[in-house]
This record gives sequence, structure tokens and C-alpha cells, in this order.
Amino acid sequence: MTDSERKGAVLPAAKEPGDAVLDFLRLAITKKLADAVILPMKVPSGDSYAWILMNDISLLDDAVPIAATMPVQGAKALRSLTRKGPGNLTVIAVMRPCEIRAAIELSKLGQVHPDNLILATYDCPGAVQLQKYVDDPAGSEKRFAEMLQKGKPDNSAKPVCHICEDFSLFDSDLHFGYLGLPDKEMLVIAGSDKGLELLEELGLASAEDLSVWEKGIDQLKADRIKARKSAFKETEAQLRGFDGLLSVFANCIGCHNCQSACPICYCRLCYFDSETAEQNPDALITAASKRGGISLPVDRIMFHTGRMVHMSLSCVSCGQCSDACPVSIPVAGAFSYVADQTQRTFEYTAGRNDGDPLPLRQFRKSELPGVHELVKDADAEVSSHE
Amino acid sequence: MKKEFTPRITSFLCKWCSYTGADLAGTARLQYPTSIIPIQVMCSSRVDPVFLIKAFLNGSDGVLIGGCHPGDCHYETGNYHARRRFAIVRSVFESLGLESERLKLSWISASEGPKFARVANEYTEEIMKLGENPTRKSIFL
Amino acid sequence: MSSITIDTRASRKVRELLKFLLENGKIDAALTMRRIPENNSYDLALITDASNINEAVPLIPVMTVNAGQVLSSISTSGKKIAVVLKPCELRAFVELVKRERGSFENLLTISHTCGGVFPLDLVEKGQIEELIPKYEKTISKGEIPVNTRDTCRACEHFIPMNADITVSVAGECESEKGCMMYLNTEKAEEFAEGFAGERSEQKFDPSVLQKTLNARLAEKEKLFASMTASGPGLDQLVDTFGKCVGCHGSNSVCPICYCLLCDFESANFDYNLPYFEEHLSRRGALRLPPDTIFFHLGRLTHMSFSCVGCGMCSDVCPVGIPVAAVFKKTGEKTAALFDYVPGRDAEESIPVMVYKEEEFSDIG
Repeated sequence: MTDSERKGAVLPAAKEPGDAVLDFLRLAITKKLADAVILPMKVPSGDSYAWILMNDISLLDDAVPIAATMPVQGAKALRSLTRKGPGNLTVIAVMRPCEIRAAIELSKLGQVHPDNLILATYDCPGAVQLQKYVDDPAGSEKRFAEMLQKGKPDNSAKPVCHICEDFSLFDSDLHFGYLGLPDKEMLVIAGSDKGLELLEELGLASAEDLSVWEKGIDQLKADRIKARKSAFKETEAQLRGFDGLLSVFANCIGCHNCQSACPICYCRLCYFDSETAEQNPDALITAASKRGGISLPVDRIMFHTGRMVHMSLSCVSCGQCSDACPVSIPVAGAFSYVADQTQRTFEYTAGRNDGDPLPLRQFRKSELPGVHELVKDADAEVSSHE
Repeated sequence: MKKEFTPRITSFLCKWCSYTGADLAGTARLQYPTSIIPIQVMCSSRVDPVFLIKAFLNGSDGVLIGGCHPGDCHYETGNYHARRRFAIVRSVFESLGLESERLKLSWISASEGPKFARVANEYTEEIMKLGENPTRKSIFL
Repeated sequence: MSSITIDTRASRKVRELLKFLLENGKIDAALTMRRIPENNSYDLALITDASNINEAVPLIPVMTVNAGQVLSSISTSGKKIAVVLKPCELRAFVELVKRERGSFENLLTISHTCGGVFPLDLVEKGQIEELIPKYEKTISKGEIPVNTRDTCRACEHFIPMNADITVSVAGECESEKGCMMYLNTEKAEEFAEGFAGERSEQKFDPSVLQKTLNARLAEKEKLFASMTASGPGLDQLVDTFGKCVGCHGSNSVCPICYCLLCDFESANFDYNLPYFEEHLSRRGALRLPPDTIFFHLGRLTHMSFSCVGCGMCSDVCPVGIPVAAVFKKTGEKTAALFDYVPGRDAEESIPVMVYKEEEFSDIG
């Protein structure tokens, strides 16, 4: 759907943005336009959220559509539901833009079947870092309420949220927009035919003009783009060269939490956990002897660079890897920077629903001039040796 | 009117003894409650602890393992292993304060149709007293 | 078997021993903790060159990875390796040997009376060096350092079982007396032959650590009691594990969980949509991804009797669930069913591999 085709509707005023979303979902279920919804709910201990698939409308009262933190990447919830096929349930999932983008990547990878899913997202101010939230849920909620009002992340938010350009996005079926709008006003905007159909069936009054909201978003976006540039510069300086890479990942203990928290890394058994990647004991001793010593477990840098190669084209910079790291390595900053480069190489943006296939699923006969240069240089070198 | 509570007891029954015992109970027209949901396994030792836990967390009000009497296992020693594993699961449940009464292991041979009916009746009654498994309602599992 | 008196800087003496062994070709490699000065961090390293042994900090109270787990991938190389392990790492390795995931054949095991290790978040903050003097003072008095892992403070197995060489650090390592290095086995005597130091026939006497033991047992009782504070049962379980994010980090750093692909990550736990529909119709709601509590309960039944309480699982949990405390508490009970102590004896079979004809007469 192009920008000019976008259609929106005005939602009845509610106390908080989240309440307006809940009212919308209640209406959709009551009118039998959806069988179930997926929303975050506070866990009983009160210090985190969990994704809950629900069709019991009374449970909606306890749901928090716009949650302060994201303990589990929403795309993983969608994957667990539809990995084996789309099924017959029409389910509306309300998630952060980066979660929807990860779900779109996973659908390209055949791990999410979105046919009967209605993916809804909202203007995301950022998410509070998981550990900070768990340590102080009440304080974090307060800070998030402020973030929500300003549309900007504060320093309790994940570092990648500060540099996220796609915090308000149309590649979902539905989008709830409120940033830049007068207080308590909320728009629901269709991003696909599926979304448009739902809005029409719900009979919501359509909004003629989206420009106020769009302007608000653009202003916020400008800040983030600026922050992104300077953050990437900083990351580049830290990460550059082998020593840089080593120092950033120096504390890595090889737990692979970053990989298991990653929505894109869907492999049941990661190559780096498999027998193929397992070094045989003799080879390990030999490797140690060559260097006088070797750090264990081996291949920790190999793991991270390998993962960059394997999944950075689909990285949505959601920051889950950093949140899951027990030794606070800025994994997400590094991956976000690398992903920006690899995706740029193929003029690909992860998480877009524009029909662009995954870069590694296609090729053009003439492309990547830079690589040709490298090949030419290598050829020249070979012939000069001959 | 409040619907009467009908327990659901997931029952893993060994093909050689307990399942045949259940068959015998049936052919002998012995009454036992519909709460028993039989699942045939090749041996009581085929029941991984996670089977019990899954049944429990999915809302089974009771979980029953039926196997051959010690010494009578078709595979010689399977039921001894089953007994150890059962002891482990029961201990984990007790440590965590979960109702270990919802787990039961019983030795029922192929010729013990009456015993099968008796165990089914008694266990169902026991579970009736415990009431519905709270896992049936919990959504955070 | 004999013992060697070493000075109070036991770490230096162990380093010297490793150097001696490498230089004299008695071993091909040494597995020990190492300090990486440029990053102010630590790692576990396999050192083959004696000149690199200066980087070793064999007794540092830091565990970045359970060395028993790592050892399982190198112990069968056929090369002679001296390994410095914390008592729980050694016990973990014994459990792995029982599972045919390693062998003692070419290893010289060096362990020490252990004061516990610092959690990884202190390590990552670079605070270890400053914490060590106080730590050493505390353990030499037989007391428990406050900021170590909770399962360390509650650990009663701080005296190594089955080590070839035991270095006494906790309790008896006071300044005037000096620390002792006990050679417990023929193998140890053989390897240490020619290593400088005053020998005596003194044997390790665990009774000097009675005070430490009592303190640890009291601490354990406190820890276990605190876990049932809000009442046991399903609600408590959901309270404890409800915020689990399903990263399975507890499983990947667990030295006992050696399966390449855990059952809970296998296709057995992928569900068709009808499964979800059924839950919706019965409960009105269901958590996604499912099986959060199930994973922990399953792991408890699969491995808790072998749990050595090393505490790695709690350290890697991104949401601070006290995984290790739960596993230690539950594991002690499941192990006690079989009079089993994980890591006590490599010749012992794990409880689920054997049985007795007459046991558990109340079951069945």
C-alpha cells in the first residue's frame, strides 16, 4: 500500500493509548471479526510481561497492549503459534514495530504463517531494558508512561531504541497512531487490504487527514536518524579490526543467550551448537599449542561473526540479544551496525512487506560491483605471481 | 445448576499387563469410571517424566501409570526403572509443593481385571476429593 | 600420600606447579582460569606454553563457564592435562564421566577448598580485584563472603571430592601457618616429584573446616526457607518461573545438561494449531510460546539428582530467576532418594541407569 492509499479511522477517545487499543480489540472480538488476540499481560509476580493468546474477552481488562518492556520478542510468540501452518483462527496480534518486522522476516523464512494473522502495531517510544524493568517495575512503568507521552526513549530504554527509525511503521496490517496528535486522540490506520477490510467491517469513522500525525512522526524520526548516525560511528570505532571485535566481545561466556533470544535465529539446533562445529579434542590441543594457549570455550568470536553472516540481513535491531546477555555485552549495537551495512549492500531493509524476497534467495546477473573489483584484484594478484 | 466435577485421569498403561488388565475389566463387565483416559505404552518405563508433567500442566486431574508387577516386566527390568523415575517426579512435586497425590503408579497384571477396576474407582474417588487441578485455569504455564 | 607446605599466596604456588609440570614435560597443557589484563576480564584457558602461565589465576573466585563442562570436550585428547577445578566443577565432570562424556585417564586434577565465586555481574563490572583481599580474609577465618553466589554461600561440598591434589585455601590458610597442598593419589605424587617445597606426611583433615561447614549449612537452611516464603504450590511456581523468557540459558550453561538438542527444543514441542484452539476453548487463554513452566519442571526431573549447585544457571538468567537455588533444593531431595551425591564417585552409576529390586515399597 502506497502512502497516498493509506486510510485511517479515528478511534473513540480513551484514557491512555493502550485503552483505545483494547476498546478496538473488544469490538473486533464482539463483532466476531477476530477469534482471538495476542497481547502482553503482567505475569503474576508483577515484574514482567508474557504474551497471552486469548479469546476470553474478560481477560482483556488485564492485558497491557503497549507494555513497558519486551521480555520475549513477539515474533517468537507468533512463530510458536503458526510454525506448522496458518490454521483457521483469525488472530489479531498487537506488537511493537520491531516485533512485527521480525514476524515479516520469519514469514519470508517460512517460520511464521501470517495468512490468518492480523498484525497490528503502534507508535513505539522504545522499550525499557528488561533487567531494569525486573529490578524496578513500578519505577519503570512511570518512566515508560513519560516515554509514551513524549514519544522518545529515555536512558532506561534499550540503546537500540534510541537509534530506531522504524518506530512507527506501515508494513503491519493495522497501525495505531497517536504521536504528534492532540492528547487522547488515536488513529487506526490500515496498512494492507486485510487491515482495511477489518476497519470497514467495524464501521469506524474514517479520518480524512493523516498529515498532523505524519508530521509528528517525521519530527521524531529526524532525532532518531541523527542519533543513529552518531551511534554507528561510535560502534564502528569500537568494533573495527580484530582487536576491536575481541574487546567488545571479551566478556562473552559462550552461553548463546543472544542467539536464543533472537527472533530471526529460528534454527532448532544452531550450527554453532551442533556436532559439526564441535572441535575434536586433539585439534583443540593442537590449536592451543600453536598459540601457547587458547581461551575456552573456543570459537566465541567465530560464533558472533558467524551469526552476523547468517542472520544480519534479517536483523531488525530489536535489542533482545543485549537484554539476554548475562555479561552486558552490547551485542545489539554491534549487530545493528553490521546489519545496516549488509542490508545496504543488497538495498534490502529487513521487515518490509513490500514483496522483496530475502537477498540470499535471489540474484541478478549483474550486481555487486564492489565484489567484482575484489575478484579482479585477486585475479590480478594471481596472474602477477604466475 | 453447577456442573458436577468429572475428573480426567490420564493413564499410561503398559501393553503387556495393565492395558490387558483394563481390557479384562471391560470384558468381565466390571464397572469403572469414565474418568480414566487410557493411553497404551509398550512398557511403563516408556513413560518419560515429562509425560507426567505435561499431562499435569495440561489440566489432567490425575495421572496414572500402570505397569507389570515387579519381576514380571515383559522386558525384564523396565518397571524397576519406571519406579525410580516415578520416585523422582514425585519428589520434585513434593519439593515444589505441588500435589503429588495427582500422580499414581500401580502394578496391575494382565489377569487383574478386578484390581484395575478397583484402582480406577479408588483413584477417581481420591481425585474427586482433591478437586479440579488448578493448572486447568492457569494461563501462565 | 604426602603434602607440601606452601605460603599464603596459594594461587602463586599452584601457578608454579603448573609451570613446573609444563616445563618438565609432565603435562602437555594446563586448564586454568586466566586474567586478561587488557580487558580487565577473566576466562578459562588451556595453556600449553610455560611462558604463558604467568597469566593464570588458578584460584580466582570467578566461574565464567563451568570448567567441568569444557573439560568434557578436551579430556579424551590423549594428551596429559593438568586441570585446576573448583570442587563443583570437578563434581560436574565426574557426572559427565558417568555419562561417557569424558575421562580421567590423562588428567591430573587439582582442586581446592572453595570459598565460593562471585556472580558474573560483579566480574563484568570489573570489581573482582578489589573484592579479593576481603574475600581471602573472610574465607581464611572460615566465614562466608557476603557477595558470592547464593548457592556458593549455601554449599556444603566445598572440600574437593576425588581430586589428585587438594590445595587448602579456606579455613586453615592463615598467615603464620601457610597453606598446604595435599597430594592425595599416587598419580599426584608421581607428577609432583621434583617440585620444590617442604614435604610432610600430613593428611588433609576436614575437621578444621567444621566451622565453615556449620556456617554453610545454616546459610543453606536460610536460603531454602526463603524460597517457600510465599507458600509452596502452583502459584509459587508460577511466581518464581512466570517471568522466564524461554532463552534456555540455564540449560546451555548447565554442565549436566549435555544433550546436543534438548527435548524441549525438539520438534516434540512444536504444536499444530488445533492444540492452541483446544486450550483457548478450555482456558480462554494460553501463554505464547507455551511450555514455560514445563521446561523447568522437565529439567528438574531429568537432571536435578546430578545438580552440583554450581550456580551458572542463575548467573545467566536475564530476568534474575533463582534457578540454581530451586535446582539445588529440589536436587538434594531427588538425589537423597537414592542415597546419591552427585560427583562423589565416578564409579557410581547415575540413579536412573540402575535399580534395586526392593525399594520404594510405597510405590505401586
